[in-house]
Amino acid sequence: MIEVQGVRAGYGDGPDILNGINLVADAGKIVTILGPNGCGKSTLLKCIAGFVRPRAGDVRMSGTAVTNLKAHEKVRSHGVGFVPQTDNVFSSMSVTENIMLGARFVARAEREQRFEALLTQYPALAAKRNRKASALSGGERQLLSLARALIAKPRILLLDEPSAGLSPRMMHEVFEAISEIRAREGICILMVEQNAFEALHISDTAYVLSLGDVAMQGRASDLLADPAMRSLYLGGDAPH
Amino acid sequence: MFDFLIHVLIMCCLYSMLALSLNLQVGFGGLMNFGQIALFGCGAYGAALAYKYDLGFASGILIAVGLSAFVSWAFAGIGRNLQSDYWGIATLALAEVVRIIVTNEGWLTGGAQGISGIKPLLPELSGRSQQLGNLAICGAVLLVALLACMRLTRSRYGLGLKLMREEPQLAQSVGYDIMSLKRGCMIFSGFIAAAAGFIFAHYITFVGPDQMFSSETFLIWAMIVIGGLGNHFGAVFGAFLLQFIFAFIPFVKDMLGLPTEFVAAMRLVLIGGGLIGFILWRRTGLFPEKVGGRADG
Repeated sequence: MIEVQGVRAGYGDGPDILNGINLVADAGKIVTILGPNGCGKSTLLKCIAGFVRPRAGDVRMSGTAVTNLKAHEKVRSHGVGFVPQTDNVFSSMSVTENIMLGARFVARAEREQRFEALLTQYPALAAKRNRKASALSGGERQLLSLARALIAKPRILLLDEPSAGLSPRMMHEVFEAISEIRAREGICILMVEQNAFEALHISDTAYVLSLGDVAMQGRASDLLADPAMRSLYLGGDAPH
Repeated sequence: MFDFLIHVLIMCCLYSMLALSLNLQVGFGGLMNFGQIALFGCGAYGAALAYKYDLGFASGILIAVGLSAFVSWAFAGIGRNLQSDYWGIATLALAEVVRIIVTNEGWLTGGAQGISGIKPLLPELSGRSQQLGNLAICGAVLLVALLACMRLTRSRYGLGLKLMREEPQLAQSVGYDIMSLKRGCMIFSGFIAAAAGFIFAHYITFVGPDQMFSSETFLIWAMIVIGGLGNHFGAVFGAFLLQFIFAFIPFVKDMLGLPTEFVAAMRLVLIGGGLIGFILWRRTGLFPEKVGGRADG
């Protein structure tokens, strides 16, 4: 579904932040990109989403080269749904308006149906459908941005640190929602995360970046059991 | 006094068009344009060049439209990789470049002397009836511009402008092409500003580079900040309010026996003070924007 080959990228005239990354993410799987701050996780996601143009290398979606396509073109032509880390809702708009913004390219007849289905899946949003998005908690905002992405029936969902700034309970709810999306929609989910332990538990595969290179990769369950991974990113022994 | 009032009303209409145009860029699109007066100049020089080379009224409109589209496109183009504050500085610089070109290319523009003797809009009329005719034309064009702006901002395109202003990256993630929104907004609002310049040239019958000083841009900024960013009626009200205050400052000066310099100084104080006061204490202006968006446009 997503193939990244030898991608190098950076900002302006600055040095490369990504030094030739290779990555594969298949349909129906959750693939997580992990790593410490500044390792290039978000830059890689932005390269795939189309916000940052790679200096070298290829990005392919469903076998088609999309390296030089801009973000809005990928949304329209390749069914990409992108959920940013921060500023992920339009604060001055209501919950309903925010969700319906994602339905721009969905047939009119289908919009209402999908909207109601999403509200059924996320009762926290249904209860506040007429409230301004600015009145929502951090977790509810994250669910709202997921719902906005999902109403467009994406084939690929890109999530930039969906648990950033959330309480442990809300973080658990958001990860549960992501896991349900995989089961229900069967789409390719590529996620950047700091909370390695929680993220690996719902992921199929993972890539660990370090200073712009892939330091480790493999099945999530293998990485959870890997002693090196545990000592570096999971805080010693894995919690029970 | 009646003729003076008509003149003030005509200027109110022309500045309202400029305020509507800038409000579309700043208030709705979040595009910090400090070179608005260059777009006005495009319209004014469109009229002047058509007169100078005897090309006719319709050609003047075409020149005005062409020049404003080109300058608007250039404004949008230089903003491709700039953040809004840097883009604002770049537009100010570009407007100054346009003014300097106009001042120095005397063979084409008449240089610092400008171009005078431009035909009035209604040459067959004279005196008060001509003034009333001019007012009717200005009012009609203002009404058309207002309705066009309202229609645009209530459309899906207008929603895209607001999204671009609030969260550009998020707007792209729901499929909006930011560059196309910027370009479209600049060109459309450029036409409105050029229309004001075109009518102004035919009304005053003179065009010169002194009409393109950047202080005029900040006057238009004061109108929309005081009236209310993101509100069309606010922009029009701000233009009328400041124009009327400016028109009556000389009477206040005479009443109080103040020196002549008081008029120029007071205008600057009102622009600067108004801007600072409203930004500090009433950021939404006199007519706040109606927040919220249309769900499915």
